Amino acid sequence: MCGIIGYIGDGDTVKILLESLRKLEYRGYDSAGIAIIDDEGKARIFKIEGEISKLESIIPGISSRVGIGHTRWATHGRPTTENAHPHCSGNICVVHNGIIENYQELKDKLISEGFVFISDTDTEVLAHLINKYYTDDLRLAVGTALGHVRGSYAIGVLSNEHPDELIAARKDSPLIIGLGKDENFIASDIPAILKYTNRIIYIDNLELISVKQGSVRIFNMEGNPVEKEEHIIEWDLEAAEKAGYPHFMLKEIHEQTRSIHETMAGRLHELEGDVNFEELELNRNEIMQFQRIEIIACGTSYNAGLLGKYLFEGLAGIHTDVDTGSEFRYSSPVLAPSTLVIAITQSGETADTLAAIREAESYGCMTLAITNVIGSTISRDTSHTIYTRAGPEIGVAATKSFTSQLVVLYLLAIHFARARSRMDVDRARMLLSELRKIPGHVSRILEDAGTIHECASMFVKAKNYFFIGRNINYPVALEGALKLKEISYIHAEGYAAGELKHGPLALISKDVPVVAIAPQGHTYDKILSNIKEVTARDASVIAIVDCDDYCEIEKFADFVIPIPKTDEMLTPLLSSVVVQLLAYYTALELKCSIDKPRNLAKSVTVE
Amino acid sequence: MKAVILGAGEGLRCRPLTLTRSKVMLPVANKPILEHIIDALFKCSINDIIMVVGYKKERIMDHFRDGVDFGVNITYVEQKGQIGTAHAIKQVSSHVDDAFIVLNGDNIIEAGTISDILAGRSGDVTILTVVREHTEGYGVVVSEKNKVMNIIEKTTEDLSHNVNTGTYIFNPDIFDYIEATSISETGEYAITDTIQQMIDDGKNVNMVHSEAMWLDAVHSWDLLKANAYLLDRFEPTVNDCTIEEGAVVRGRVNIGQDTVIHPGSFILGPVVIGKNCEIGPNAVVLPSTTIGNYSIVEPSALIKNSIIMHDVRVGAFSYISNSILGAHNSIGSHFITETKENFFIEMKGILHIAAKLGTVIGDGNNIKHKVLTEPGKMISTGCSIASGVNVSRYIPRNSKVF
Repeated sequence: MCGIIGYIGDGDTVKILLESLRKLEYRGYDSAGIAIIDDEGKARIFKIEGEISKLESIIPGISSRVGIGHTRWATHGRPTTENAHPHCSGNICVVHNGIIENYQELKDKLISEGFVFISDTDTEVLAHLINKYYTDDLRLAVGTALGHVRGSYAIGVLSNEHPDELIAARKDSPLIIGLGKDENFIASDIPAILKYTNRIIYIDNLELISVKQGSVRIFNMEGNPVEKEEHIIEWDLEAAEKAGYPHFMLKEIHEQTRSIHETMAGRLHELEGDVNFEELELNRNEIMQFQRIEIIACGTSYNAGLLGKYLFEGLAGIHTDVDTGSEFRYSSPVLAPSTLVIAITQSGETADTLAAIREAESYGCMTLAITNVIGSTISRDTSHTIYTRAGPEIGVAATKSFTSQLVVLYLLAIHFARARSRMDVDRARMLLSELRKIPGHVSRILEDAGTIHECASMFVKAKNYFFIGRNINYPVALEGALKLKEISYIHAEGYAAGELKHGPLALISKDVPVVAIAPQGHTYDKILSNIKEVTARDASVIAIVDCDDYCEIEKFADFVIPIPKTDEMLTPLLSSVVVQLLAYYTALELKCSIDKPRNLAKSVTVE
Repeated sequence: MKAVILGAGEGLRCRPLTLTRSKVMLPVANKPILEHIIDALFKCSINDIIMVVGYKKERIMDHFRDGVDFGVNITYVEQKGQIGTAHAIKQVSSHVDDAFIVLNGDNIIEAGTISDILAGRSGDVTILTVVREHTEGYGVVVSEKNKVMNIIEKTTEDLSHNVNTGTYIFNPDIFDYIEATSISETGEYAITDTIQQMIDDGKNVNMVHSEAMWLDAVHSWDLLKANAYLLDRFEPTVNDCTIEEGAVVRGRVNIGQDTVIHPGSFILGPVVIGKNCEIGPNAVVLPSTTIGNYSIVEPSALIKNSIIMHDVRVGAFSYISNSILGAHNSIGSHFITETKENFFIEMKGILHIAAKLGTVIGDGNNIKHKVLTEPGKMISTGCSIASGVNVSRYIPRNSKVF
């Protein structure tokens, strides 16, 4: 998914392009670029791998009256400066969102005709193709070029021989025209330009548009003019992006049915009982050589990493330690080349984690990043990268990126366990088929979210919360406490249930709700006695249990939240969703600023 | 012109499929009914859509988001309590200030259906009608030429063959009439009552007749007919999927991205298979079948004339025909659906006739091995069914059958 933008008018072109691109960053932000025609009539191209702010830093102050821009979210292939848009051929510059299906065929032909390709993108084919057919009418050249193209596109085209005109076209990728006063826009999406105008024309498939400062003319592919209706948009920016949901966080919690599937897509080989990461090329011997795994992460990613420890040890039999980034670098780490260092970070830009991984590299360790953002700094600083494919996450409280990190860790642990012969094919096949059922189970939890809302309202007056769990449920307890702290500002602590009696039990009293993550499993009896410990001190217990288990725990718990039955190892994927919803509804009842909690930022790029 | 789509209702008669999603989200040819409508609006250059949502609205919002992936701009308006079409339309009064088109979210239409009403628009209210031989249970319109004299909510007698499609073009003055509409005997504020009042007041209400597609799936099994109808018309596209050596794909077949067809499988179109599916080895998929995203058809299973929704596992050696399987079902080996033609199905004490049906299964069931469903006997949602069970009656939600 990418975003495109174009501007023609008397305003500050560079500033307008950059601001609009920022609004499109939700469509991707791993590389970006703009092309403008300066006042001397010269085309100037600026593009860079990275976010819009990085692009901004390399653009000098230039006055211009026309320009196009692009922001990219590569889901396959590398985001590099060469591959960033705009792409040029002669005087022609092109930005493109979509996929040219017959690009190889066109590319071969163009190469044989003497065109030289700089990038690996399908878009460069378009630039050369337009250049090939150009004589003196830019719109005609674009129309002829598109006639040879199969696939989807929304494009913006610029030429320094036509500094008063922008050409755009679409097929199967979104494109709109914005009508301003003595200025006009093209964009992938309305929010990009809503700051400047609310007069919109929607472009249909196979339409070609000539945008000038004072006019917008639309043609079909035969070159005949098309009459289009103008629309006035009356919606506020944020609401549009939230697609009907009151908060990004709730939207992203709901997206987990989709994002978990995306994380697994193409990686599960159930028939073989194995996992295959396209981007991870480790052979059996290399995997056999790891003596230890060191996981480095911060915040929510740390909690994911802690579950990773249980998985790598429990399934693959590899000793694993977990450290927070900020502690690791100052703790005289003991590392050897036989240590695999795994860094987990949603943004791939977390400063503490980055510094720690560089430290690890200096010891000659093999490093592996688990991140959501293709081409982020961490992916360049580590020898291997696995992408979580959760899609852009906007709410500051991590939700879908967390469950996707967990899924990657499950897959990795199964992969290692198979390679080290610690797990037989049948067990692997069983786990993989249970993993595939997780999105369905998540959707059942979401169906019953009303129960969790009710629970949150019941304990909304609590000043302190405890979350307890044992073994693989302990990281979920930590995550539940973290979510509640982050967005509802209630003091919450996550504890390994067995640790209660070593101190915190002193704090347990009548008004303290204790969330027990207690699905069936080998530690079930233990946590049941921990629940009895706290009920004996009059605390209220909220128990998260799997469906079959209603009766027994109900005797001790004040509130029971059921999750669907799955393999014991996989229950954290489901209980995580429950604690996310519990935090969300608590914050909602308390009227907190859910998507932008005080003092916090989405990606922490400072130490 | 803005479009208002009414999508707040549940669709009781399509249970158990509608226990977890509203009727507008039921898939036909691998797209929710609502998406067929939005595609049709988009083709008619109507891009500003106001969606009236209510029952299970998250399912709709998760799929369409802000509409940008579908080339449209969607604003969601919630109708709290489903108390009639007039009440639903009233919810959008602050969002329209010009003539607007209203559509039912649960009828399958094509671009031609919409262009017909746009072209024939006249007077204060325009109603789109289709001719049907049997009109029992439908709303009908009695007219003199194109001027509507009477609009009847659900007819039991043969008054007219002009079926009201529930597609209208209104002017903003409709909202004043809605305000004055009183509650009907069935406890609803019906837009047909509003329109009848306008006719009685001498307003100019006209009908436009269309011969383009308009399908109304009343019962869940009607989806099979609609599915076959649409599959006969779709244009296959080429996606990045893997058809392994020894698999045969013949006829008009759409296979989604990253789907793998394993050796020995035979797929005969028209068939649509979603993305990230695994079919086979040795599985057989016959017309007119759609299989949703992320589904698995295990070795030697046979599926024909069925709708399999997303994230379903069909066990080895299963035989599924003329059936609808909801999402997230896990089905063991040797699952068999028995089919019967022209028989009665009892739902809440009322008998309905089904032309041809195996079974209908809701979402998220866990069905073990060697289960057989007798014709028309359905399974609700969240059930566990043990190995060897003969399903000979309706299985209510969250049941455990041993």
